[in-house]
Amino acid sequence: MKNLKQQKQAAVFWILRIMTWLVVGILFWILGFLLVKGMGVLSWEFITTAPKNEMTSGGIFPAIVGTLCLVTGSMLVAFPIGVMSGIYLNEYARNGWTVRFIRIMTNNLSSIPSIVFGLFGMALFVNTLGFGDSILAGSLTLGLLVLPIVIRTTEESLKAIPDTFRNGSRALGASQLQTIYKVVLPIAFPNIMTGLILSIGRVSGETAPILFTVAAYFLPKLPTSIFDQVMALPYHLYVLATSGTDLEAARPMAYGTALVLILIVLLMNIIAGIIRSLTSKDYVK
Amino acid sequence: MRRFIEKSVEKVLMASGAITSLTILLIVVFLFRQGAGLFRNSVVEENYSLAVNKTNPVEKLTPEEIKNIFDREIVNWAQVGGLNEDISVFRLNDITSYVSEEALGEEMQFLSHHLSEIVDTHPHIIAFIPNEYIRKDFKGKVLDVGKITPSDFFAGKEWFPTAQPAPLFGLLPLLLGTLWVSFAAILFALPFGLAVAIYLAELASTRTRAVLKPVIELLAGIPSVIYGFFGLVVVVPLIQKTFDLPVGETALAGSVILAVMAMPTIITIAEDAIRTVPRATKEASLALGASQMQTIFKVILPYCVSGIMAAVVLGIGRAVGETMAVLMVTGNSAIIPTTLLEPVRTIPATIAAELGEAPTGGAHYEALFMLGVILFLITLFISILIEIISAKQIKQQQ
Amino acid sequence: MRQNIQKLGLIVLLGMSASGLFAQKIKGSDSVLPLAQKEAENYLKKNKQASVIITGGGSGVGISALIEGTTDVAMSSRKMKTEEKMKLRNAGKTPVETVIAWDALAVIVNPKNPVSKLTREQLEAIFTGKITNWQQVGGPNQKIVVYSRETSSGTYEFFKESILKNKNYMSSVLSMPATGAIIQSVSQTPGAIGYVGMAYLNKDVKALKISYDGKTYIEPSYANAKNKSYPVLRPLLLYYTKNNEQNVKPFIDYVLSAEGQRTVKEIGYIDTL
Repeated sequence: MKNLKQQKQAAVFWILRIMTWLVVGILFWILGFLLVKGMGVLSWEFITTAPKNEMTSGGIFPAIVGTLCLVTGSMLVAFPIGVMSGIYLNEYARNGWTVRFIRIMTNNLSSIPSIVFGLFGMALFVNTLGFGDSILAGSLTLGLLVLPIVIRTTEESLKAIPDTFRNGSRALGASQLQTIYKVVLPIAFPNIMTGLILSIGRVSGETAPILFTVAAYFLPKLPTSIFDQVMALPYHLYVLATSGTDLEAARPMAYGTALVLILIVLLMNIIAGIIRSLTSKDYVK
Repeated sequence: MRRFIEKSVEKVLMASGAITSLTILLIVVFLFRQGAGLFRNSVVEENYSLAVNKTNPVEKLTPEEIKNIFDREIVNWAQVGGLNEDISVFRLNDITSYVSEEALGEEMQFLSHHLSEIVDTHPHIIAFIPNEYIRKDFKGKVLDVGKITPSDFFAGKEWFPTAQPAPLFGLLPLLLGTLWVSFAAILFALPFGLAVAIYLAELASTRTRAVLKPVIELLAGIPSVIYGFFGLVVVVPLIQKTFDLPVGETALAGSVILAVMAMPTIITIAEDAIRTVPRATKEASLALGASQMQTIFKVILPYCVSGIMAAVVLGIGRAVGETMAVLMVTGNSAIIPTTLLEPVRTIPATIAAELGEAPTGGAHYEALFMLGVILFLITLFISILIEIISAKQIKQQQ
Repeated sequence: MRQNIQKLGLIVLLGMSASGLFAQKIKGSDSVLPLAQKEAENYLKKNKQASVIITGGGSGVGISALIEGTTDVAMSSRKMKTEEKMKLRNAGKTPVETVIAWDALAVIVNPKNPVSKLTREQLEAIFTGKITNWQQVGGPNQKIVVYSRETSSGTYEFFKESILKNKNYMSSVLSMPATGAIIQSVSQTPGAIGYVGMAYLNKDVKALKISYDGKTYIEPSYANAKNKSYPVLRPLLLYYTKNNEQNVKPFIDYVLSAEGQRTVKEIGYIDTL
């Protein structure tokens, strides 16, 4: 009887184990699929030249540059603001209600679907402020989108620093600002960086917010000002997958683009993970 | 001086803290303002009117009736409360079959005169004509079709945003499509999500966990356009073959992809919830002779049911707002879904596919913003639900 | 208020834009897109200084962008509507229309489908949902799966005008964001029917012969389109505004030149020569 019960338990646990590996398997399936199909396309030429022959050959250089522009632009928006609000929330705000309100708002902002950001960006930056479809409009939209990520990681990394550091600094006569600037921030810096890196990963992959704010279908010239449109990797993949005269001929390009995109994004996530696991041992606990 | 710097830095920091709230406020203002504009539009296309003969007793037509009349689905005036006569439909392009090009004059200067005559001499006509050709001496009767009402939008069963003369902006097929795909996705994701969460929290060794956890989190990092692409080239053909369907682009394809995308969220939250179960509770169960399995299913899961609820709700929130992946695999037909094996059109996919085409400020544009409002409200509702659930959870633990 | 904000934005824009080069923005119809893209590719090879930005979205998108002044050239696969012309005129702009090529709209089915010809009336019934099985038009007992373009596209409107006589498509049509996706789906789906520009035809799909009078069925081919005997024929257009002429003229002239028109033929459209 007991044996049966144990067998049953073992069976159930195996099922759980198998289901877990299935889920992990999905990731490797997607990765492996793109790797097998896209590897043959990846070459120096592919990442350094513009698309040719109705985008069925050539490369994706303008899209890579475009994505870099958007990443830089949106980080210039999100990083300073995000870090500053994180500092405010953790170091300054004393009024519980204010903190709670800001936190709820930040949570809400992070739960708003990306397409709604697209709508908003188009209405505010493209039309009302008259920026047109441009890197500026796209970066602002994407910057607001990832703001909650930066705020949250900053707040968490500040929270992880024990108050003894702050008290020690203050006891030595440093002001609050000096304490934050000279003591707290340097310790928290690596963890704050994970927020930046995660946001970069997120921004590189977002399509919906840039559809109506910046993305160009075909633009072999590189941008010269922040009012230019650019191609971007995720939108380019969408275009390659659904538009064009000959989808079959464009498939290799699509696989290559997907591979480059996923490598960038996963690399960012892995780097962030490594930083986090390296620093978490130092002072937490 | 130094005090001043300290103070101003604090003010600057406070200001950046306010930016998220400001953004939400702006989103609300812009979405609602543009969206509400929809209800200021006339049912008939802007700058156009519908005119009938003066003797026609029909005074009012609903948008659906107008569409069906012009689609020749309704062919008799009796069907819309008029006389038992056949309806003849007139558009501006049909003018040449009534009068010759010469009679219109070189610069179409006689057009409005002829329009007036045509409507006057054909008792069963319904004409769709630009306002600029309706002069004061117009001999027909211009129908008062009124404005688009909230019930046209919220209870409308058809989405024909570019239909002429009267576009139909019915929310139902899109809203139901969105919810249909999202709920199905959670049904698929939940068993897997829970299994993984239980495995990670209770069964896996620390080392296995340290490997698996980041890998699963990577799933959340994959951009949605890649999921869409993968769905398009792998999942859609697979579904078509497996179920022997006429088309592979179905709600099912969308839910499968969404299930994978929502899984990391569900796993993370559910695992956290399982981890909050006090050691004492677990050990009490084991001490009473319960097996580990019994403890998991009879003690731990019931204990953290609200945490699992939160995982489900968050997962749905994830799925509802997902755009690109769904746009690429669900086929996008605006019909009210009845099975998982047919195409559906979701709200985010509709916005993404149509916003570019809709002339700024027109009824269609505003309808899409209204859809944005609906999405926003759904996610807001979900956020509030989560707050309530987690508040309950905290109370329970105390 | 809004005007002022826009002006402010514009001033910022002028102040910050460091580039002296004029980048022509071309936006609109997905049917013209591959052509414009190829023409631009060749044009840029010859004129290293020039800069051309091409975005799709549909004819409606292009024309409304022209009205708003966010594009220099609008690509369109249909004539501008009266109300669009009125809006342009209200904005103080005069549109200039150039036919750069002709396109025959082909109705396609899966190559395995034995049906090879249909009348306009049958097509209308299929796309409005009156005919739902291939048996009703002499094919196998199979459900008809109808593919259409998104509502923005000029192809969608032209097909609606020409084949459906302005009636609306049934709501269960599958709308595809781009023509390539229709080809893809029709080639994979035995019971499918869809419509695409002639340029998109390939061996994976079968184009139907079409009849408007019920007697003569005409095949979508270069010859039949060139002599205008194929009934579903439309112009591919570029629109720009009179005041912007000197900026965009060189490119448009290039497209209309013998070399540009050779590209038109290469892509699979019908040249205007």
